[in-house]
Amino acid sequence: MTLCVVQATPTIPQERYHEDLTIRPLTDGKVVTAFTFTTLLGGASPRDPRDAESSAQHYTLFPLTLGQILREYSVTELHLSLNAGKWNYNSWGFPDHPSVGTGAELWAWMADGGPLSVDDRWMGLRNALAGLFCASLGSLDDRRTSSPASAFPLSSVPFPHDSTPYALRHATLPSEHVCTENLTPFLKLLPCKSRAGLARLLDPQRVFDTDWHGLGVHVRSTEAGIELRLGAQAVFDPVRRSRGKRRDWSFQSLFDRQIDVACPVASSSTIHLVVPDIRGYNLSPEPVASNDTVNVYSPTSHVPLDIAMSWPEEHIFKYPLPPPAPQTPLSVKRTLYGSSQTRGVLFVSFSNNDHSPITVGYLETLPALVTLWMHTMKVDVGGIARDDLVSDMIYHPPLLLANGHHGPSTLQTTLTIPGKSTLRLSVDVSKTFLKYTEHPPDAMRGWDLPPAVLFPVLLLLDGERTNASLAGQSIPKRIYTPTLLVDLPTPDFSMPYNVIILSCTLMTLIFGSIFNLLTRKWTIVKMHD
Amino acid sequence: MDRIWPRRQNGNVVRLRRRKNATALIYRNLSKITTALLATGYLWMTLIPIPPLSQGVYIDENALQPAQVNTNWNWQDVHQADLYLHHLEGLRDKNATSEQRASFIRDEFAKLGLSAATQNYTFMTPSSNITGINAYAILNSPRTPGSEAIVISASWLSEVGKEPYNLRGIATVIALAGFLKNYSLWAKDIIFVIGDNYLDGIHAWLNAYHGTIPQNLDTDLLELTSGVIWNALNVDYSGHSFSHLGVFFEGLNGRLPNQDLINSLRLISHYTAGVPLVLYDHLELHDAPQNSLLTSAPEFMKRSPQLREFEHRARNVKRHVSYQARGRPSAPHGLFHRFRIDAITLYAIPADGPHGFFALGRIIESTLRTSNNLLERLHASFFFYILTTPATFMKIGTFLPSAVLVAVAMIFSGLGRWVEAGWVQESSSELQPQGKEDDGKAANATIATVATLQPTWRPRQRPVIPVITTICVTHCIGLLAFAMIDTSCFLQNQVVASWILLIALGLVPQALLTIIPSHPPETAPFSLLLQSFNLCLASTVISITSLLNFSLAATLAVTLGIPLICSHVFFRPSQTSTSHFNKPCQLAVHAAYWVLTWGWLLLPQEVEKAVWNWEVLGVWFAPFVCIVYAPLLMQAGLVGLSVMNEMLLG
Repeated sequence: MTLCVVQATPTIPQERYHEDLTIRPLTDGKVVTAFTFTTLLGGASPRDPRDAESSAQHYTLFPLTLGQILREYSVTELHLSLNAGKWNYNSWGFPDHPSVGTGAELWAWMADGGPLSVDDRWMGLRNALAGLFCASLGSLDDRRTSSPASAFPLSSVPFPHDSTPYALRHATLPSEHVCTENLTPFLKLLPCKSRAGLARLLDPQRVFDTDWHGLGVHVRSTEAGIELRLGAQAVFDPVRRSRGKRRDWSFQSLFDRQIDVACPVASSSTIHLVVPDIRGYNLSPEPVASNDTVNVYSPTSHVPLDIAMSWPEEHIFKYPLPPPAPQTPLSVKRTLYGSSQTRGVLFVSFSNNDHSPITVGYLETLPALVTLWMHTMKVDVGGIARDDLVSDMIYHPPLLLANGHHGPSTLQTTLTIPGKSTLRLSVDVSKTFLKYTEHPPDAMRGWDLPPAVLFPVLLLLDGERTNASLAGQSIPKRIYTPTLLVDLPTPDFSMPYNVIILSCTLMTLIFGSIFNLLTRKWTIVKMHD
Repeated sequence: MDRIWPRRQNGNVVRLRRRKNATALIYRNLSKITTALLATGYLWMTLIPIPPLSQGVYIDENALQPAQVNTNWNWQDVHQADLYLHHLEGLRDKNATSEQRASFIRDEFAKLGLSAATQNYTFMTPSSNITGINAYAILNSPRTPGSEAIVISASWLSEVGKEPYNLRGIATVIALAGFLKNYSLWAKDIIFVIGDNYLDGIHAWLNAYHGTIPQNLDTDLLELTSGVIWNALNVDYSGHSFSHLGVFFEGLNGRLPNQDLINSLRLISHYTAGVPLVLYDHLELHDAPQNSLLTSAPEFMKRSPQLREFEHRARNVKRHVSYQARGRPSAPHGLFHRFRIDAITLYAIPADGPHGFFALGRIIESTLRTSNNLLERLHASFFFYILTTPATFMKIGTFLPSAVLVAVAMIFSGLGRWVEAGWVQESSSELQPQGKEDDGKAANATIATVATLQPTWRPRQRPVIPVITTICVTHCIGLLAFAMIDTSCFLQNQVVASWILLIALGLVPQALLTIIPSHPPETAPFSLLLQSFNLCLASTVISITSLLNFSLAATLAVTLGIPLICSHVFFRPSQTSTSHFNKPCQLAVHAAYWVLTWGWLLLPQEVEKAVWNWEVLGVWFAPFVCIVYAPLLMQAGLVGLSVMNEMLLG
């Protein structure tokens, strides 16, 4: 058993650190930036949960605080993302790091077995990460935890010659707001912090003023060892910041900084600039390598580095009219219709922008605040009911757990959207009447529902599917829908509520006495002793 | 036990006696009590505008922080608004179609980098089909999940002032869209809606946004959506410049927005832009002395500050009641309330100056910042209130009792009739005090003694089936009348049809009277029972309505109170004179009831408007009048007629 735990051997694992920045200027003037900091712990593999022995951990580049957590709870694969904003797939395309759901999302694959159960380790893990990243991950409890294995598959290499079962735990917290207090611990995990290298650019003042920004921590075990990828993405709007409404940008104008020092421990450090199709721009400085679509820069050889892009012939930026076609093959819109506090309709429309049909998995994980009524589910394309486009439907209603909580309900299905058409899915929902102690302090705000997830499905080619002809391609990456806000029946905890109570009581009293007067008759009954 | 029993019995006897006495006292003085309640109720209603009943407004929600920000709306943005206005005036002068207008507005939004779209809609109503095209755009605020939203809207038309087109309002909204996009501080998405026509555009848009598309609306779900809308500001700026900012707040079916929104606007308008805020388009009297009713009054009345104050407040209350009682939205903002959105209309009162786009833009910007501060929906302040002036309001407790007192008077007199119907007075001397035979009969004896002090009474049967049937029939007739009014052929030949309907409905009570079976001599008369039921029903209606829509309840209390309570008196032929002499007088009373019940049919515009409101906006006023109000008065007329009949029959 100890053979599996490579860390137990006294050799210090080989550690390598890469950093990468991808910049994509978009047609609507926005600039998408994606930082990826990868640390590879060569030759290492996750701790087996059945192995009680704890060994010393010696890291040079790999962050110790995270390593300890991973070791303690024997996590094979971990994905944490903290995002703010709504990723606009239509105009920004697929993100470089796919986890872009609003708020916090945490999922982990853990090997089963050992003295502690998976759920106990999951609880420990989320509390430890909550402490590490200053985020309310502790509230990702059993009311929000589910296990949708096909949407979030295991990408790590499992333990060799061992049929250990693996378990997934997935939870989202859409109301989590990401801010500076999350960025600071994030930067501390980097070997050069934000003092050198690409992370030099991550100035909280600017990053948190972008249209969209998010942080991600991804750990998985590969053949080469344990890989930690720290990602930071931000979508800048230079037009908004510039006084003259121009779309020119530079590191200085976007981040208020330049890369003035290279990170000495980085084995590679590259910047990829995806050049736009439209010409008429000036770029400085000259790239170290370039092809038709990508320019490559290296901050190690060229410091200080301030990449700048300008459109000298453009007086002010004009938004393209008509707006450009969607950048992704599939556009999703999710809304909760209805104005009452007791019921509503969950409505999702999937628009295929391609000519060939698209098959995607659709996963909806809803806390027990709302109940889906599956018999009311309707699927139509252009007003015609098309139940044949839905397959492999799995629905788990909210379960009452041992501690009195209700688990989330999950709906997972595979949908086939015909080419150049819109599939509409609607399900009636009823909203729960909460106990008054269950309401949060801001009761009148409503409750956030986590985003739905569209995930790629493996298309079976052996003719197992009944309508294999319809199943075209799938999507390359997961798509997250925006979150929803649901209004539950909320008592007004303030003055008018008291007034209503009081007037109802008065009315009842008056009604009671009048009813008494009308129906009761007072007579004297003679009693015999 | 033996010692306790008698004591208990004694206690019960005392209680019974006390109760009997109290009931007897109330019954003896019933007419006095009813009169007193009625008088108090009506007096209270007339005193609603007096200053001591109002109190100063205040901000209840701490998060709002109105007028605490530095505004950035600048002359450059005013210039943009002027440019948009120029284009819009061109469209107006070209008599552009809805489609041209909507696509122009959509393109302007898209040029600003917002996601914009249009919405076609058609309302099918009995009289005509109403079509239009709305344009809207959504500003997806940076960093936000987009689950909450604020709406800024403007309609193409304006119905408040003299100028029919709300061009400056629309120009303000488009210029604001470009301006607001430059800031990352918005915590909620901002939706810009330009509704076609006056009310129906925004109504169609709201229904499509919330997925509640009614049967008679032909439109598709919106292409672009955002989150839950919390607040909405509707802009109505049709004049050239403005001197005061008016606020309209009454919504569909009498719903009001949270008062915090109006109070915030008042502070912002005053402190941020220096524009005085008034209610509706009612200028203060010192600003517009020609509006006063007191101009023809004697000099001492004209000079009295109290009277002038009273008049000003009474005007505001009257306007409020006229909107709320009819369930009519006072401006397009009122359509939002149905979806639990707090909304108001900012109306720039046309004048030669001194304010324009600059002041209005700053006010809206600051109000948006205030709404943006909200962490929860507005819930702290009042939803039931009467604004007597922008700075003073009445809490529900200071106006609700006035209508309820009238309702209480009605139910008292209804119950009085019920008791009256149950007993018949006898002049026999059969029932004599039996004397005190033993302790057990003491109570009986006391009651008997009480009875002998007054004329002797004998219980009689109260047959309620014919009465309840009659009441149901009258309400069904009301329903039929409503079904007739709500047809295209009625609305097309409105004048003729109104007269036919009016005469037919006037004959209904006479016809009903002939089929009512005459009551056997030992039972209560029909008229007494009908009046009792009629009063109790009307009182219940008023009390319940008063909690939902005070203005409607107060209007009902005024129109129903005395006619229902006194229906048996008005029609009764006086004992001394001959019936022949009384005929014209009774005819007049009859005609008065008839006019009060159905006379509104002769106000064609009012009827048309109410039916339109019901068909398009779903305002309950038209069916309420036909199915509840008119039948109640019809029953009262029937009471009078049957009183007359019973008198003639002997």
